[in-house]
Amino acid sequence: MGETLSWFSVRTADPAFDCQPMFRRILIANRGEIALRILRACRELNVEAVCVFSEEDRRAEYLKLADRAVCIGTRAPKDSYLKTDRIIAAAEVTGADAIHPGYGFLAENAAFAEKCRACNIEFIGPSATAMRLLGDKSSARALAKKAKVPTIPGSDGVLEGDDNEILATAAKIGYPLMIKAAAGGGGRGMRIVQDKTDLLSTIKQAEQEAEGAFQSSALYIEKYIDRPRHVEVQIMADAHGHVVHLGERDCTLQRRYQKLVEESPSHSIDSRTRRDLCAAATKLARAAEYTTAGTVEFLVDSKGKFYFIEVNTRIQVEHPVTEMISGIDIIKAQIHAAAGEPLEFTQRTFKSTGHALECRINAEDPDTGFRPCAGLIEKFRPPGGLGVRLETHVHEGYRISPCYDSLIAKLIVHQASRPDAIRCMQRCLDEFSIEPIKTTIPFLRKVIGHPDFLTASIDTGFVERTF
Amino acid sequence: MLDIDRIRKLVDMMVTNDLVELSLRDGDVEVNLRRPTAVAEVMPVVNGAPTMIQSVPDAAAVLAPEGSVGTEDLKLTAIHSPMVGSFYAAADPESAPFIHVGSRVNIDTVVCIVEAMKVFNEIKAEMSGTIEEILVKNGEAVEYGQPLFSVRCD
Repeated sequence: MGETLSWFSVRTADPAFDCQPMFRRILIANRGEIALRILRACRELNVEAVCVFSEEDRRAEYLKLADRAVCIGTRAPKDSYLKTDRIIAAAEVTGADAIHPGYGFLAENAAFAEKCRACNIEFIGPSATAMRLLGDKSSARALAKKAKVPTIPGSDGVLEGDDNEILATAAKIGYPLMIKAAAGGGGRGMRIVQDKTDLLSTIKQAEQEAEGAFQSSALYIEKYIDRPRHVEVQIMADAHGHVVHLGERDCTLQRRYQKLVEESPSHSIDSRTRRDLCAAATKLARAAEYTTAGTVEFLVDSKGKFYFIEVNTRIQVEHPVTEMISGIDIIKAQIHAAAGEPLEFTQRTFKSTGHALECRINAEDPDTGFRPCAGLIEKFRPPGGLGVRLETHVHEGYRISPCYDSLIAKLIVHQASRPDAIRCMQRCLDEFSIEPIKTTIPFLRKVIGHPDFLTASIDTGFVERTF
Repeated sequence: MLDIDRIRKLVDMMVTNDLVELSLRDGDVEVNLRRPTAVAEVMPVVNGAPTMIQSVPDAAAVLAPEGSVGTEDLKLTAIHSPMVGSFYAAADPESAPFIHVGSRVNIDTVVCIVEAMKVFNEIKAEMSGTIEEILVKNGEAVEYGQPLFSVRCD
């Protein structure tokens, strides 16, 4: 398992090495904290950065750090950040030779990736083929099975057949089971069925919901794993066949399938499971001929058995957690890989040091069902200290818009051990003051102080059961 | 008839209620008022006898960015780019420009080309008036909402 690779990294425009030079100018097709993150990486790489913005984001401070900024539409994402033609046109008129899609918006849009490349603009992400293969949960699952990566027992592919056939498929899988929308994602389009009496009616409902939300009524079913842990693996691959994993992240602390806290390494798995999980992720990425950054997600049951769920063919929100334990700048590595350069690190040189923890801070009111809050930030007092990292685009005087998602900051800590990291995070959340906007800071403080979190004895349903 | 006092009152009302755009028609007199501001809301006005028409920004008549139109020039507005691309004043390098300063335009008049991804899009005036000023250079990159021409409306 694992490969001994020996080469030396060449970062010159050496024709003998047959890689194109680094991009001259990258257009960032995103907004907010991830746009700022990518902007910073570009500046350190001496690559020019072009930002796009909607009229709503015109006053954003981070735009001033870009070399160029182009307005691409009005406030609604569908009228701006999702306008593929305007984004590509902005790249053309500014002379950008690559587009970084960030996460969300067009990041996993294979048609967009193809369009960019057809216009001679590199899309910083995998090939459209790999994106389609892994983006569709059914085909990703089929690939996983072929690569002998453990998958959750389920309908192999989209659920088909008459009522009797469906009941037979379900009986083979066993109850309780989960109905999922094939085109869904982010935890949406999922329903649990406890026994066969509810199956057919729940399927009808799920088909309607899926059609409405994802324009496809295709479903698949799989065994429901009770009290699972969510563990994912960060993958980085270049165009020269090198695929490296950068360890796992435990994202079990969720609320309604939305991640609240992520950490690395995971204390829910033993070292053997860690080794096998990471190897499985690497194998799957290789089987899909994946390039640049990606994340392979697994569920781990109470016996430590792991099952593949899906691949996210993009950079993820929680990538800083892996950056802290590995010392690797994942955005830069992603850009280098997209530019055709070989990875600077190998599986052997990757080392995980210490423990990193991230809290997602949302402008939501925990006391009124996590209702999103918009408005002016009058007071913003962030925490600091050794091993404390804050990723945010907001500041005092920033106006949070109701048009975009409610993530306003990511607070990451890195310490020598998990208890140290938790203590540090608690201290930071106590210091962190944002007013008058309601945020999830007090809620996070309660959650990470809970004894079950401290002993790493939680599962994905913990938050909803307990708070 | 056009009554300056009345117009002043309308302008005051716009400022007090933070309105961005107001169109008023009374018989055969029409007044269009526009305030330069980054706010994209148009709030409904409920008022007395004259018929109030609420104007909604559309693709070509989007809100002017600050400083481009003053409240003194009641009839001066702008044609804004509905897309991102390169501005061209003529259909091709050999042809004459579509319009020039002083040209009369109406709703369907093609005023320029904005090119993106090798597709040449004809941009229409979508308003009636006279071209007062050409605000961009031939070949210049334009963003969404960028004012291209200032127009004195009829």
